[in-house]
Amino acid sequence: MTANVGPSGGTPEEARMEPREAARLLAQTQADARRSLDFRAPWVSLVAAVVALAGFGIVWLNVRDQHPFTGPSLASLAVFYGLIALRIATVIYAYAHARTGVSGRSVNVQRDEAIVMSGVLLVCYLALIGIANSGSHGAGFYWSLFLNGILIALAAVWAGRCAIHKNWHEAALTVPVALIAALAAIAGPRGMWLVNGVGLCVLLLANAAIGKWQRRATRTYTVQTGA
Amino acid sequence: MTAEALDPLIHVPARLQIMAALATLPEGDQLSFKRLQDMLELTPGNLITHLRKLEEAGYLATNKTGSGPASRTSVALTYDGRHALDIYATTLRGLLNGV
Repeated sequence: MTANVGPSGGTPEEARMEPREAARLLAQTQADARRSLDFRAPWVSLVAAVVALAGFGIVWLNVRDQHPFTGPSLASLAVFYGLIALRIATVIYAYAHARTGVSGRSVNVQRDEAIVMSGVLLVCYLALIGIANSGSHGAGFYWSLFLNGILIALAAVWAGRCAIHKNWHEAALTVPVALIAALAAIAGPRGMWLVNGVGLCVLLLANAAIGKWQRRATRTYTVQTGA
Repeated sequence: MTAEALDPLIHVPARLQIMAALATLPEGDQLSFKRLQDMLELTPGNLITHLRKLEEAGYLATNKTGSGPASRTSVALTYDGRHALDIYATTLRGLLNGV
């Protein structure tokens, strides 16, 4: 390997790839690597869509005939939070799987962001529990505030995070989440569960479909188009 | 322009794959040797040989932590490596567009 070494150390024997083959290999490798390292796979969105529909749907089935509205039963709430736990578990699994072997700055940033989001969620819960304990409104008001308020707060924080990273695709996704929650608030304490469930399910299914389409599109991405 | 204008160090399938895969990481991130090997489906010996050549050229940096069986080697493109890959891709585009 010492004879005929090129200017950067390569040998003529090694440099036999056709430019078109090299372009294909470059684009293909980058597309595969991006797909492999990205934990936001379409199946994660698909699971989230099912969880949203099933979780909100079960509570809606429980409260839709309540007159007056008294709030979801403990059993339906247990299923609801169980499904949320399942959603979180799938994200953690997908993240751990995709980011195995990756270390450095972005890993630290993502860990810090997860801590911030957990903190925001905790603050929201505490604030809303405080409001519920100090007020004299009906159960419908508090449940609406509790559910839709948290969704809007999380969407706002996530939008800010996406804007910092200039991730406009994800930022755009947070706007309909906030709109769905706002629409759900108008739908009342019974209808809000259905609106949130169907709205988030449709949004997440659309996101999964877009993700799938983007991943397929990158397979045909060539160096001529900027790979 | 001919194919000889392409950096011969990168213009080798395995090394092009290594450079391309590492370039998808954000700056400041590293990839473990094992994960890179799994991604590219190269044998350890083959991967080490190509990594050494790229490291000697200053295109990538390796970082070894720990010792013995628990040791872990991570690799990342250097600034020069990213720049070299950019030039390679630009040259490739020029070749394919008949410039």
